[in-house]
Amino acid sequence: MTTIAKLLLALFILELFQPCQTLRGGNNLAPSYTRDALLALRAAGSFPPPNLPEDIRSTAPRRCLRRRGRRGGVRQRLRRRGNRPPLPSMILSNVRSLRRKMEELRIIATACFEYRLILLFYFVFYAFLAGMFCLTMWVMLQTLDENIPTYQDRVPSPGLVIRPHAADISFNRSDPTNYNQYTQHLHNFLQNYNDSVQERNDLCLVGEYTDQDAEPVKKVCQFKRSLLRQCSGLSDSSFGYAEGKPCIIIKMNRVIGLKPQGDPFINCTAKRNSLLQIRYFPSEGRLDKMFFPYYGKNTHADYVQPLVAVQLLLSKEDLNVEQTVECRVEGSNLRNNDERDKALGRVTFRVLVSE
Amino acid sequence: MGYGRSDSYRVATTQDKDKKESPKKKGGKDLDDLKKEVPITEHKMSVEEVCRKYATDIVQGLTNAKAAEYLIRDGPNALTPPPTTPEWVKFCRQLFGGFSILLWIGALLCFLAYAIQAATEDEPAGDNLYLGIVLSAVVIITGCFSYFQEAKSSKIMESFKNMVPQQALVIREGEKMQINAEQVVAGDLVEVKGGDRIPADLRIVSSHGCKVDNSSLTGESEPQTRSPDGTHDNPLETRNIAFFSTNCVEGTARGIAVCTGDRTVMGRIATLTSGLETGKTPIAKEIEHFIQIITGVAVFLGVSFFILSIVLGYSWLEAVIFLIGIIVANVPEGLLATVTVCLTLTAKRMARKNCLVKNLEAVETLGSTSTICSDKTGTLTQNRMTVAHMWFDNTIHEADTTEDQSGSSFDKSSATWVSLARIAALCNRAVFKAAQDTLPILKRDVAGDASESALLKCIELSCGSVKAMREKNKKVAEIPFNSTNKYQLSIHETEEGNENSYLLVMKGAPERILDRSSHIMVQGKEQPMDEEMKEAFQNAYQELGGLGERVLGFCHVFLPEDKYPKGFAFDTDEVNFETDNLCFVGLMSMIDPPRAAVPDAVGKCRSAGIKVIMVTGDHPITAKAIAKGVGIISEGNETVEDIAARLNIPVSQVNPRDAKACVIHGTDLKDLSQDQMDDILRNHTEIVFARTSPQQKLIIVEGCQRLGAIVAVTGDGVNDSPALKKADIGVAMGISGSDVSKQAADMILLDDNFASIVTGVEEGRLIFDNLKKSIAYTLTSNIPEITPFLFFILVNIPLPLGTITILCIDLGTDMVPAISLAYEAAESDIMKRQPRNPLRDKLVNERLISIAYGQIGMIQALGGFFAYFVVLAENGFRPYDLVGIRLNWDDRSNNDLEDSYGQQWTYEQRKIVEFTCHTAFFVSIVVVQWADVIICKTRRNSVFQQGMRNKILIFGLFEETALAALLSYCPGMDVALRMYPLKPSWWFCAFPYSFLIFVYDEIRKLILRRNPGGWVERETYY
Repeated sequence: MTTIAKLLLALFILELFQPCQTLRGGNNLAPSYTRDALLALRAAGSFPPPNLPEDIRSTAPRRCLRRRGRRGGVRQRLRRRGNRPPLPSMILSNVRSLRRKMEELRIIATACFEYRLILLFYFVFYAFLAGMFCLTMWVMLQTLDENIPTYQDRVPSPGLVIRPHAADISFNRSDPTNYNQYTQHLHNFLQNYNDSVQERNDLCLVGEYTDQDAEPVKKVCQFKRSLLRQCSGLSDSSFGYAEGKPCIIIKMNRVIGLKPQGDPFINCTAKRNSLLQIRYFPSEGRLDKMFFPYYGKNTHADYVQPLVAVQLLLSKEDLNVEQTVECRVEGSNLRNNDERDKALGRVTFRVLVSE
Repeated sequence: MGYGRSDSYRVATTQDKDKKESPKKKGGKDLDDLKKEVPITEHKMSVEEVCRKYATDIVQGLTNAKAAEYLIRDGPNALTPPPTTPEWVKFCRQLFGGFSILLWIGALLCFLAYAIQAATEDEPAGDNLYLGIVLSAVVIITGCFSYFQEAKSSKIMESFKNMVPQQALVIREGEKMQINAEQVVAGDLVEVKGGDRIPADLRIVSSHGCKVDNSSLTGESEPQTRSPDGTHDNPLETRNIAFFSTNCVEGTARGIAVCTGDRTVMGRIATLTSGLETGKTPIAKEIEHFIQIITGVAVFLGVSFFILSIVLGYSWLEAVIFLIGIIVANVPEGLLATVTVCLTLTAKRMARKNCLVKNLEAVETLGSTSTICSDKTGTLTQNRMTVAHMWFDNTIHEADTTEDQSGSSFDKSSATWVSLARIAALCNRAVFKAAQDTLPILKRDVAGDASESALLKCIELSCGSVKAMREKNKKVAEIPFNSTNKYQLSIHETEEGNENSYLLVMKGAPERILDRSSHIMVQGKEQPMDEEMKEAFQNAYQELGGLGERVLGFCHVFLPEDKYPKGFAFDTDEVNFETDNLCFVGLMSMIDPPRAAVPDAVGKCRSAGIKVIMVTGDHPITAKAIAKGVGIISEGNETVEDIAARLNIPVSQVNPRDAKACVIHGTDLKDLSQDQMDDILRNHTEIVFARTSPQQKLIIVEGCQRLGAIVAVTGDGVNDSPALKKADIGVAMGISGSDVSKQAADMILLDDNFASIVTGVEEGRLIFDNLKKSIAYTLTSNIPEITPFLFFILVNIPLPLGTITILCIDLGTDMVPAISLAYEAAESDIMKRQPRNPLRDKLVNERLISIAYGQIGMIQALGGFFAYFVVLAENGFRPYDLVGIRLNWDDRSNNDLEDSYGQQWTYEQRKIVEFTCHTAFFVSIVVVQWADVIICKTRRNSVFQQGMRNKILIFGLFEETALAALLSYCPGMDVALRMYPLKPSWWFCAFPYSFLIFVYDEIRKLILRRNPGGWVERETYY
């Protein structure tokens, strides 16, 4: 982005300080002389040759081939004429040429000046506008709170998402390369929940909100990866994928200041397969209240949100059949049945395990 | 006054509707042929030759069989109606003409983009489809609107007609029979009498005091005598041809039909008219130019962003969709409707001021008119002879010629005047038609010759009932006017108690009357006529004649009781009474006087830089007199002839450049080359063309157009119709105009008043200025509409303004304010400036684009973006976190997008914020458009000078705000249009920008006014 901006600026400056003549030609700028003036000039000397037709307007203008500048000009030509006296026509024609040149220059200069004035005007105008925009933006940013957004009414209720991040999880359980992407994703995701990391965080009261509005630095409640047991990837680094009993981790979106009422827990149901066994970690898929409320990135930097892992205990018959599972957050005031927003308090995913 | 004329030509136009619409392609050669003069030769033949030519008989007429044969050969005696355009063609023309093309292309591109998306994506966004549908709907709706508008005015046109089948009296096989005029064939022996319409071009074979009114053909207001003798080589001037569709005023005549139907003189004119191609109206040209500019800008932006998006790494398909999107976003959807409504409003306003506009686009044409070619009779003049001057007691008295008798009066106490009035009343065959006592005298219908009715009205006005006077002085004998005597004479009984029992009164050509007089009456006393008196008479006669007036001399004598006792049998054939040694009483001169409002209107046209040219079929002297009277030749300006007369040198020695005015005779015009014609039109400011034929009128109009003028032609007669059609705007007269002229015209003056043209010019100029303002206003909001899309592509931010909101602005909130600008009052006296130069003063120029796009539009865009950033920031997405977020933001499967505060958003949640942004951006555009409409009110003046008197505009401001609030807050809008309620504070985001727009433009206009012609004016005055 910045390179483009720099390029444009450079182009602009180049344009502004380029020599003028190249900007606009002086084709239609040739000053015209009346016939009378030309006749007067002719009468003053031998310009142009006396056998010229009466009507000067009809003679085609001949391109002047003589050199101008140091090699040409009056003095040179006078010298070439030797001792003959200078004719008035010669001087007059030089005067004419000079006047013409001056006129040309003047017109080019005016046109060029106008053009640059417009460029300059727009430059200044846009600079001013940019300045004004920055000013208003700055004022607006000053009114924002560091820690909490001004309005939160658009996130009244959190959404649910799953890890691994995919709507369709399909793999061949006997081929590790096939499901490696999922397990790798889960390993990465759980890095923050490593017991070694979580050891540094505090233990909080189970089943109580961790209210700490007054504290300048908020403490973070511990959520150890080991809590997920079989789905922690610690004992079984394939998260059950190798057995065909895949773990899926469900995560609830962070919302600043959210305190879910009641006892939220995750409940998953398989569509069209009521026999499917599902195991939850932590038990019953509970999301403990101690992880709420969240205080925002600034003051709650190391915060980890509680997770729930679900393991689909697929039986032999379930293999090679696509399972559609819907998980909802239940037992609280959190919305899980919004018609429009299918991700609000619920998540649907499909699992296909082949042999 | 021309009652006979209004229904002339009705046969011709039985079913045609709108000639303008008929794209009749005629070979150029054919048309040029028609432009040549009339080829009738029969007037030079003898009656026998004519009879032989048509195998007819002077007494018996044609045989029925022959007539039937001719009828089959030549077809019915009616003019071929010009081919009418089918209604669907008219409709299509409205649908695909001019501006609509731009929108159609836009719609097609939209569908194309949607098709590409549908083919490549699983769930294509419906935006492009909706936009395409809306664009097509807009074009179709506005197309229907203007179609119905046009249909409405053509309906008014039809109301002018009421069909009465024409009858003609022909003699076939020696029997007189009344047949339908359409059945008349060449060779038919036709009889016409006073009041009839001539059914075909007739070679007169016999006549009894027959006079015809040729005014619809030649523009001459005086009835012309018709007799069997050829008097002129030119068929239009000769006495022995009576023309189809003119009226016989009095007398009877018998003639052989020589031409029928389309071959008649009138038919040729009609064919010429319908064969003429008319150019585009100036406003259509302007709109074309505008489309070019807009397309240029759109394509430039589109292509540069196409290249840019390729460079930025978007796929080809995405880049193509962006390209289409940018081009479409540049189409001002609402502008077509705005322009149509503005023109309609003006057309309505003009109709209220008695200018009926047939073609919407012609509304503006009058405003850019630089030359008006006006017909004389009926347009500039009242089309009725009126006594203008009188000479008695050796002085010229001026009579009142105004239509409402508001002018000055002369001294009526002189005894000479009493005698003169008595002669004029008695030696007069004109009578008022019955049952008109309630009407004002000037409005009454008169049976009789134009000059006699002028005298009748004059006497009735100044001396009371003529009828009573005639009853007191019963007529005992009469010699009617004939061309050999050149006088009219009658003998009346005198009133009781007079010593003589008979009074002889005589009127006629002044020199003839003078020859017969031996005495002259001065102050009621008879004096012998001496040389001095004769010279005084000559001077008066010349002076009145020089005024273009028709002069009549009056004399009387009381017949001595001894020679002519009561009961004397006067024999008018033998003339057994003396007609010499009369007593000369005075002269009266008549003219068709100019309408009262015309001189003022001509003056206004002149100050508005419009050249007024008079083109008439009338005589040069009369034309010149009227031209001087109405100011077409202004006071102090002389023609070449005037200069020659003043300096007493031959005309050839006068330098034509010295004379600003000139009067050109039709016969001279015929010999002029194109260059000479151009020379005359260029070098004379005040021109009168006299004795012009319809073809020459056309040549004059073409000459003016060749010099780059935008020409308006006014006229009422058939003879004007080719010129009316050829002109950039033809103006016909509603009351006296013939149907043909009305059909050829673009505009109709319902009150026949030339002064209404001035209103038309004013309205036309105003609408041009106001359309500029409207367009400037509408175009400005294009920039805040398109920049969001550009930034969406360039810096990958969530889309700040959606398609639906763009449509809400263009077709919703912007409409009423844009239309309200059509009601804006003029900033300065628009009638004091020169007409616009169609080459230089464009409706939309680069300065307008520069202001709208480059300056005000940019400020508006910033205002919108500011609101956008405020909404996002206050919801948790700070500006610097937005750049590059687009891919994740628009990813449907990403339901935990993190904001600047660490909160995570589902797709639907953040989309609601995005749509709230759209709403906020939309509301901001409305807020900045407040300021825009206020600054667009004026182009030069400050708003504080102009005031806020435009109520519609104030209504528009409230309406757009209310609409914006409704769209944002009305429940259900979130589902219907995806617009969400805004926090009250977000309404104020754009306020500083709105204020900036106002201040910036006020400063610009201040500098512009302070420094006329300066840089600011050169670069920003649109």
